[in-house]
Amino acid sequence: MPVTDQIVVRCRKGDVRAFHELYEAYSRAMYNICLRMTGHSSDAEDVLQEAFVQVFKNLEKLESDSSLTAWIKRIVVNHCLSYLRKKKVSWEEVGEMEAAVETEVDEEAHALTVSMVKEAIRELPDGYRTVLNLYIFEEYSHREIAALLGITESTVKTQFMRAKEKVRQLVKLKIKQ
Amino acid sequence: MKLEDFIQQHRSEFEEEGPGPRVWAALEKELPVRQRPTVVRMLARHWWKAAILVALIANAGILLKMNAKKDAGVVLPEIAEMQGYYTTQIEQKLDELKALPPEELGLDSTTRRELEIRNDTYKLLERELQNNPGNERIRAAMIRYYQMKLELLDRILSEHEKYNDEIVTPSNKKDVL
Repeated sequence: MPVTDQIVVRCRKGDVRAFHELYEAYSRAMYNICLRMTGHSSDAEDVLQEAFVQVFKNLEKLESDSSLTAWIKRIVVNHCLSYLRKKKVSWEEVGEMEAAVETEVDEEAHALTVSMVKEAIRELPDGYRTVLNLYIFEEYSHREIAALLGITESTVKTQFMRAKEKVRQLVKLKIKQ
Repeated sequence: MKLEDFIQQHRSEFEEEGPGPRVWAALEKELPVRQRPTVVRMLARHWWKAAILVALIANAGILLKMNAKKDAGVVLPEIAEMQGYYTTQIEQKLDELKALPPEELGLDSTTRRELEIRNDTYKLLERELQNNPGNERIRAAMIRYYQMKLELLDRILSEHEKYNDEIVTPSNKKDVL
């Protein structure tokens, strides 16, 4: 039986230490999701806390053949999306849906740094940032993102391309500075 | 290079530290742990004491059954000496225990009563010994009974001492469990 499954069994019995072990195992990765999605450390902590309350309460409902990691991640992502919806973030397209063109970020690749990209992503509008994070960092498919956000797959693709283009522009500006 | 390729190549550098301690502190208060009744919780913490008491009682019960048909006799001097030795030792430990506040000791009133030297089990064993003065098995059982009782008292006292030490040691504040 995998270690994580043993933790789940112990949590279901009300073992406080098991809850802490579960939290320790997942909190950092899940906090990073919250941080990328909300863009603020204190909001990320609030969202993480709410998500873990739900994780702990619903462990009984976790089916034995499901992936614990994927299940926890889905709860965390849904809480992040609720947070963004409360902020009135919309992922719907406004205006024309022009064809997105793939662009690359490495015109000055030698000068490109992780901190620049991080900063550029943080500066993205909430809607773009969400789609970009879900696709690149959380590795959801365009179809899964469409279902999560309640928009069409083509809108997801367009939003993703625009988000990448915006990052490219922001990074270019940073390199010139 | 595509943005997603750049990010995948430097994936770990995009990870931030985990959340602050306030998240677990808040979660800990909301854990779905069923609060067990006080007596059960006390038993869980002091299970080994209860186990020793059960062993003492069971031991006495077997002896009574074994020797029920033996004839009455007189107490041999060496047995009286052994009894005197252990009784003094046990009474000293009991005095130490009695000097401690009950809430600090973590024992309920039933357990405290069980620890008293003149409990029912003891009286029964003593009566059997008087009835069977030369019986080696009773003598050995009496010694075992006294030794177990002494050991039990020692463990309670040393645990109490250790517990008090832990309370005043600041390094233990880190241990959230």
